[in-house]
Amino acid sequence: MPHLTLLHDAVLNGDATAAQASTQNALAAGREPVRLVHDYMMPAMAEVGRRFECGEYYVPELLLSARAMKAALAILRPLLATAGVPPAGRVIIGTVQGDLHDIGKNLVAAVLEGGGFEVTDLGTDVPPEAFLDGVRERRADIVALSALLTTTMPAMQATIAALERAGLRGQVKVLVGGAPLTKRFCDEIGADGYSDNAPGAARVARGLLAARGGAGRS
Amino acid sequence: MTTERSSSSSFNQAVLAAHRRTALPIAVYPGLALTGAKVSDIVTNAAAQVDTQAALRERYRTAFVLSAMDLSAEAEAFGCSIRLSETEVPTVTGRLVTDLEGANTLAIPEPGDKRTAVYLEAVRGLRRLSGNSFVLGGCIGPFSLAARLVGVSEAMELTVTAPDLMHAVIAKSAAFLTAYVRAFRAAGAAGVIMAEPAAGLLSPRALAAFSSAYVKELGESVADGHFALILHNCAAKLPHLAAILASGLRSFHFGAPMDIAAALATVPSDVVVCGNLDPAAVFCQSTPEQVRLATAELLGRTRPFLNFVISSGCDLPPGTTLETLDAFHHTVANEAPPLTWMEGA
Repeated sequence: MPHLTLLHDAVLNGDATAAQASTQNALAAGREPVRLVHDYMMPAMAEVGRRFECGEYYVPELLLSARAMKAALAILRPLLATAGVPPAGRVIIGTVQGDLHDIGKNLVAAVLEGGGFEVTDLGTDVPPEAFLDGVRERRADIVALSALLTTTMPAMQATIAALERAGLRGQVKVLVGGAPLTKRFCDEIGADGYSDNAPGAARVARGLLAARGGAGRS
Repeated sequence: MTTERSSSSSFNQAVLAAHRRTALPIAVYPGLALTGAKVSDIVTNAAAQVDTQAALRERYRTAFVLSAMDLSAEAEAFGCSIRLSETEVPTVTGRLVTDLEGANTLAIPEPGDKRTAVYLEAVRGLRRLSGNSFVLGGCIGPFSLAARLVGVSEAMELTVTAPDLMHAVIAKSAAFLTAYVRAFRAAGAAGVIMAEPAAGLLSPRALAAFSSAYVKELGESVADGHFALILHNCAAKLPHLAAILASGLRSFHFGAPMDIAAALATVPSDVVVCGNLDPAAVFCQSTPEQVRLATAELLGRTRPFLNFVISSGCDLPPGTTLETLDAFHHTVANEAPPLTWMEGA
């Protein structure tokens, strides 16, 4: 199956054009969409994460691999939905209110999407109310909050408080990250998970959902 | 607090000749607690910036005084939009360059355009009040400036997918920065801390090509035997070190991700390395006692190296308390052993 090796390698090498072409070829050859994702694309992204964490890949390579994964998923997602294959989980992600920085949030969104999550990116400077709307509309399992500034870190706590006031806190796991954050801060504000890098965030997200029995089970 | 010293002809010479460990936290915004100014005052008004730094200098008797770190002023001079805030340093919004044609037609501003005038004037003001302290200006690095012009996330991908576009924008960024650094020198700065944080997100090979090559050229064009160009990279890790040293500079400032003792063991003994207490985890989120412990630990780890300057790993953000800064300076002053004694140890 050379086109499937090509699909794996296209994601690993961050080649979106090749990823789309090999996905189309594999579908034309009768391969099941879910097998393409699970047997070729997700292992490729896992390898990308491994290379990132051990210093073989850096941010550009991570972003390009995630883009290739996303390009292939754009073809496969409608087919997966038709076949009733659920995503690994539904994530609402954004940089918190007052903060316009997006690279960390973009990295985490890309890696989560590459890991099979359905990701809704609310962008930057996101007020708590927008996260609440996102959770309701997308039936989210995870709210992922990013901040680069020490002065906007309190907005994370404000967002968690808003989720509690709205009665949504029990439905979602809250994942936090950003350059000035620490695990200690994560614990202090009552978040459920923290990571200092994007592949780690995807791992924490999977762990949080596994611990509660999977996506969509609040 | 840190001992004041007489002026020397260069930053490196002053550090290497010091009898006590030099402390150089990148700190202007914590001084707002002393003057009552807002962040928006500091980044738009040279007098407010000078007053704030003067208040910090009075409190800590530091050997160096810095202009504020604001990595949006240069991008704004190119034409980027920014968002100003009373409580936070300005942030660049939107993208100015999206394709090669835009890069090729991008106009290079002059030093003093828009808010770069504030920073040049602040250096003149600091020079007038600083007595025998060194005055250091601050600016962004060529890759990080280009990344603001094209979008930071986009810049990461463009280094791979459209390197010609990135090189075109970096070349224009470097041309402006060369003139800007010369303007700092003409304003009386003894050196400039050039912040290149986005380059630390690249692979070492890409960092060498998209940052160090331009920094090297810039450094050579502003060198006069006295003026110090100090390259700051708060995202770089030890694997980046060789690529950063390829810039040919003699003074570096690293963030918390750098293994500072290993870096010091790698560089020549006359190359100054500054760093690297985590500005958020240590200065913002720790008690004074925890700051003392972290500072003492770093002093201990770097004890054999005369060419080390203890510092924050990056700019101390607004909201950093004076109590933590007090703890840092007090620990350096009272717990760092004399360097002359250390030399023979």
